[in-house]
Amino acid sequence: MIERLAPARVVPAVARRDFIRLAGATAAGFFALGATSDRMRVVASITSLSLDDELTRRSMTESPTTRLGALIGGLRQRGWVEGVNYRFEVRSSFGGPDKMKAAVAELIDLGPDVILTGSTVETAAVMAATKTIPIVFATSNDPIGNGFVQSLAHPGGNVTGFTSSTAEMGGKWLQLIREAVPDIQRVGVLFNPASTPRAGRFYLDSVEQEAAAAGVTVVLTPIGTAAEIDGAIGRFAEPPKAAMISLVDSFLVVNRQAIVAATAKYRVPMIYPFHYFMDAGGLMSYGPTLEVRSADYVDLILRGTKAGDLPVQSPRKYELLINRTVANALGLTIPFTLLVRADEIRE
Amino acid sequence: MNEAVDQGHSRTPPGRLFRKYLYSIVTLAFAALAINTGFDVWFSYREQKQLLAATQREQAASAAIQIGQFIGQIENQIRWLARLPAELSTNEDERLNAIRLMRLSPAIAELTELDAQGREQVRVSRRIADRIGSNEDHSSSAAFRGANESLAYYGPVYFFGDTEPFMTIATRGIGREPNVVIAEVNLRFIWDLVAGIRVGNTGKAYVVDRLGVLIAHPDLWPALRRSDLSRHTDVRAALDGVGPPAGGLIKEDFSGQRVLSTYATVPSLGWLVFVELPLSEAYAPIYASIGRSTFLLIALLAIATLVSLWLSRRMTVPIQMLTQGARRIESGDLKLRLAIRTGDELEALGDQFNRMAAHLRESYATLERKVIERTSELEKARDHALAEHDAAERARSVAVAANETKSRFLAVVSHELRTPLNGVMGVLQLLDDGRLGEVQRRHLATAAASGETLIALVDAILEYARLEASTEALETRDFRLDQLIETAADLMRPQAFGKGLSFDLARDATVSTSVHGDPVRLNRILLNLIGNAIKFTPSGGISLSATAERHDDHALLRLVVRDTGIGIAPDMHERIFEDFVQADDSIARRFGGTGLGLAIARRLTRLMRGELTVESTPGKGSVFTLLVPLGHAASGVAQGAIAPPSRQRHVLLVDDDPVNCEVGEAILNRLGHRSAIARNGAEAVALAGNQPFDVILMDLHMPDMDGVEAAVRIRQLPLQPVPRIIVVTADVSRSTRERLAGAGITRVVSKPILINALREAIEDAPEPGATDAPLAPSALIDRHFLDDQKELLGALQITKLHRLLQETSEKLIADINAAAAAGDHKQLARYAHQLGSAASALGLVRLFDRCHDIELTAPSMSPDECQSAARELAALRAASMSALDDLLAPAEPRAVS
Repeated sequence: MIERLAPARVVPAVARRDFIRLAGATAAGFFALGATSDRMRVVASITSLSLDDELTRRSMTESPTTRLGALIGGLRQRGWVEGVNYRFEVRSSFGGPDKMKAAVAELIDLGPDVILTGSTVETAAVMAATKTIPIVFATSNDPIGNGFVQSLAHPGGNVTGFTSSTAEMGGKWLQLIREAVPDIQRVGVLFNPASTPRAGRFYLDSVEQEAAAAGVTVVLTPIGTAAEIDGAIGRFAEPPKAAMISLVDSFLVVNRQAIVAATAKYRVPMIYPFHYFMDAGGLMSYGPTLEVRSADYVDLILRGTKAGDLPVQSPRKYELLINRTVANALGLTIPFTLLVRADEIRE
Repeated sequence: MNEAVDQGHSRTPPGRLFRKYLYSIVTLAFAALAINTGFDVWFSYREQKQLLAATQREQAASAAIQIGQFIGQIENQIRWLARLPAELSTNEDERLNAIRLMRLSPAIAELTELDAQGREQVRVSRRIADRIGSNEDHSSSAAFRGANESLAYYGPVYFFGDTEPFMTIATRGIGREPNVVIAEVNLRFIWDLVAGIRVGNTGKAYVVDRLGVLIAHPDLWPALRRSDLSRHTDVRAALDGVGPPAGGLIKEDFSGQRVLSTYATVPSLGWLVFVELPLSEAYAPIYASIGRSTFLLIALLAIATLVSLWLSRRMTVPIQMLTQGARRIESGDLKLRLAIRTGDELEALGDQFNRMAAHLRESYATLERKVIERTSELEKARDHALAEHDAAERARSVAVAANETKSRFLAVVSHELRTPLNGVMGVLQLLDDGRLGEVQRRHLATAAASGETLIALVDAILEYARLEASTEALETRDFRLDQLIETAADLMRPQAFGKGLSFDLARDATVSTSVHGDPVRLNRILLNLIGNAIKFTPSGGISLSATAERHDDHALLRLVVRDTGIGIAPDMHERIFEDFVQADDSIARRFGGTGLGLAIARRLTRLMRGELTVESTPGKGSVFTLLVPLGHAASGVAQGAIAPPSRQRHVLLVDDDPVNCEVGEAILNRLGHRSAIARNGAEAVALAGNQPFDVILMDLHMPDMDGVEAAVRIRQLPLQPVPRIIVVTADVSRSTRERLAGAGITRVVSKPILINALREAIEDAPEPGATDAPLAPSALIDRHFLDDQKELLGALQITKLHRLLQETSEKLIADINAAAAAGDHKQLARYAHQLGSAASALGLVRLFDRCHDIELTAPSMSPDECQSAARELAALRAASMSALDDLLAPAEPRAVS
């Protein structure tokens, strides 16, 4: 526990009318920190997304609906004002292993106070580069399995962060897509073995278990490049009737537009783990609500708390998003059970 | 303040009163304010603390109720689900209901519905795929059993996925075969609730379960770490059921901050909700209150100080003005007016002061005027008195001069009378050769008696003259008092008997003693008193009584002479002691006498520091009382016998009178000395040159060469030993004494020679071998002056001067002698003046004085006097130079010049 400067509770959404209060807190933090910290802190972030991606664009940073926006806003609430007492550096690993290596090296050279990583791949790369700089990962499905932390409650080392969907979610995704498309005989599982946990096996057990119970054939569709997307999805356009599951995979997020476009093209229903795909025009998504408290942890780390002392947080809420327009386009009728469950139905 | 006003010189330090007032008022104000503020703060502090604790307890209780409601709500919801009649819906419907419920309650992560036997009917989850009709047996699960045993089951808190606090709640439906609904509740949703509990600005609430494990904390992550707080004493005490302290507990929280802590228990769950408020915030209002009070106190104190300053100044300034006014009046400034305008008693005092000053000023002016008047009067009186005094002084000097002239006249006349009388008496004694007839013898006797009377008369006049001239000095020695009185009585007794009177002598034993005094004078007084008594007593008798009171340092002799004579009238009691006075003129005619007896007696008595008084009644007789203090004798005086001399001396007796020579020789022989006789000065000088003499008794008045000149000549002889010269004379005039002193002769024996006086004079010699200084140097030379001159000029210069003086003075003396021989008065005066000047240079004062005298008197001198003056100056010059030689060269052998 460390000194608290301002109301530090993260409010899920900052209302516009709270802006003045927020600004006041910022000022308070500015003065308070001005007295304790004489140097400009550096918060570094590495993302697998291209810096052209709308999710990484700076214009979006003020929006709390994105991970980055939530971070910047949250830090401001805690007295950290970008350009005043900390500097925010983003590097993209987009473009292959070499690009990632360069990005990591570049970040380390900045001597940052904390490094935020987007996904498992980047986390592993940054961890390989430093054992001292605190690392906060935004998502890691299996941090223990990946060897990032010793335990969730007491990570130890210089790493902590947030987990995403649990392994059982594979079965849940299959159940939900089956409710939307009840007559499927096979289900295709789309993933990039290089960027999904345990090369996809993390979720596949529960998918296969649920598929067996439901009498559905699981068709693994691993892809390695964006070029393979169209072909991989196109294969499920022909009978027998099929639907697809997109696993938690940063590669898929990066290429979400292409994937959504391919599903529309081939009229293949697909369920996604993140709402980003819905923004791109996906059918439905089920996954953890964006309740990420990375700002909380970055703040604590900037004030001296060891990353290894901070427990890895798991998601608390899950949300089901359904795009009824897309469903109609696919000729699907959304049943009651899904409608009751849906947190948001987009038209 | 009174001291300052009264004494003035003990000044009050300025501002003391002012400070006193100031401190008093400030102290008083401060004490009142401080006590008031202190009590106020203290009570307010206590009240606020209690209020704070109460508020916090309320908050804890409220939070506990909210948490209880949160769980209770979930319980109610699943109870609703459990109580849905089984026949109302299929499993699919039940699943739908469960989904609806979960939509309603985000905290429920999973719902499982069991039938009465514990078989799973429906399972709906947020994380895993739903399941319907699996009939999985849960009958042995704690939740199922718990729900069946009581209406609701609350499972223990467990952590899902290592970090997520979860809890199982189960209820059962109603009816014969009630369903059991089990809900897995994600307790992280309590976080929203806990985070929403506002405890002051920076305080917080947190929740621990029945085991002391933290399940909800506003910072979330401490809860995710499964922090076990059961080891904290306050949590432990709360878990053990000890109620929270009434005033709250002060402790340190996780971050080491001091907080005010209290807690409440969540009903039915047994969880504890702790509410903590940092002391800095909790007591901030109290501190603010104290701060306000302190500020107020300081502000009031400042005001009080200012008021005190004003008040003190108002009180002290007039007093200081009064003090200064008093001081200025003290220093004489009376024009002062004090302007005190305070409108109170002080102003009245100031006015009074001004009035006083005005009065004082007027009085002072009056006084000054009077003083001026008086001063001028006094000045006039003084001038007058001075003028009178001058006149009186002049008159007195004239009188004194006249008196002196009279005395000298008397002395000279009596002396001159005595010499022929002695001759007459001697011839009268020679006339009776035994061949005279009866008539002739009677005539001779009458002549002798008349002569004796005449001698007595002359003696009395001589004595009186001496006393008058104050030249009479007591010649004291040791003597037997009783002997003196008896001798006097024996002497007078025949006279009394001859007149047919009785004569009684009452001699007290105390007079049988030796005393020190002047027996001759005492005897004379006594004889005078007895003689008077016999003279003025026609019949009856005379009595004489004598006593001596012994005192420490003297004996007081009391002699009372009582007669039965004619007495003295009271108005004459004092006058009889005056000169030439008798009781009345007829007495003089009847009894004769000079009338000097009592005057002499009283003068002699006074000379002896005694007292002579009379008591008398006319016709009854008189009583004369003589009181005389006498010194104690050094030793007893041998009666009758004359003490032998300390050693036999060779004495030269110089007198032109053969009788005196014979008497003197006899006395000297009697005293045990060898004697030689010279009949004149020249013979004396010749004898002294031939034989060594210890002492020379020199008659002063001799025809060819007087005593002084003879003495000077003898001195000039180179004699060894130098004889001591004692002058024998009846001349007691001042000029004579001065002349003797000028010749260096200090020892004088009066004529007629008394044996004891002569003995003392001879005995009073310096030890043999000691130089017989002709004159005490101090009498000749002013030593202080000489010393000053020595210091001023230096020894060398003084030696030069000495030599010069020697030569000059020798030459001047020769000149003076020549001038005197030629009878040139003018030259004599001039040379005397020159000699005096030269002598004064080295402090030869006597020579200077004498020269001065001769210079003044020279014009009127006879040729003989001129010669005498010249001789005298020569002798004085010789003595002075000799003394000067001694003083300047004490180490040199004494040269006789």
